[in-house]
Amino acid sequence: MIKVLFFGPVAERIGNNALQVEHRPGLRLQDVRDQLAAQYPQAFEIVCFAAANGEHVRDLSLPLADNSEVAFMAKFSGG
Amino acid sequence: MKPAVRIQQEDFSQDEEIRALQASSKRMGGIATFLGCARDFSEGREVSEISFDAYGSMALSELGKLRSAAIEKYGLLDARIVHRIGTVKGGENIVFIAAGAEHRVAALEACRWMIDELKQRVPIWKKETTPQGDAWVTPHP
Repeated sequence: MIKVLFFGPVAERIGNNALQVEHRPGLRLQDVRDQLAAQYPQAFEIVCFAAANGEHVRDLSLPLADNSEVAFMAKFSGG
Repeated sequence: MKPAVRIQQEDFSQDEEIRALQASSKRMGGIATFLGCARDFSEGREVSEISFDAYGSMALSELGKLRSAAIEKYGLLDARIVHRIGTVKGGENIVFIAAGAEHRVAALEACRWMIDELKQRVPIWKKETTPQGDAWVTPHP
């Protein structure tokens, strides 16, 4: 399984802080994003950044190993 | 001594952080600091408090990378970053950054760079509570 985390405004729009997506061979970060964006279009309207296993990811073609932790995040507003 | 990079609910002491920075080297000739505070007025509305959400493990790791990058980029002797999460009331402290270098220019530039980069790279989000309701903050440039 892939653990998908949400925070702040994205979590609020999804109504949840975490979801699970089934892993399959060849699964890419983009596939997870596409699947969830179709289910939660309003939340993904504000998604600007993605992370895998706690690291920023710019290239969403990144292959995901089983048990990966990913996050789709809105623009940050710390500080 | 507390770690140089922290995310915590409780308030911090600027004096304590500066003392810890100074203790790292007697070669330090300049220390620049940035203190971010919670405003009680934003976008034309009164703000009673600000709540922070964070991707805790990633935020801490990004702050650590930011500190290391600043030390290398500006030749700092040491740097410290503390960011609060949870709920912060108007006027209270949010974030503290301190950069220590042999000379002032590196310290000042590094401090500015760290807060700018923090806003771009560190997964923390703030929500303002106002009489009109709660609203997640849209980042300022």
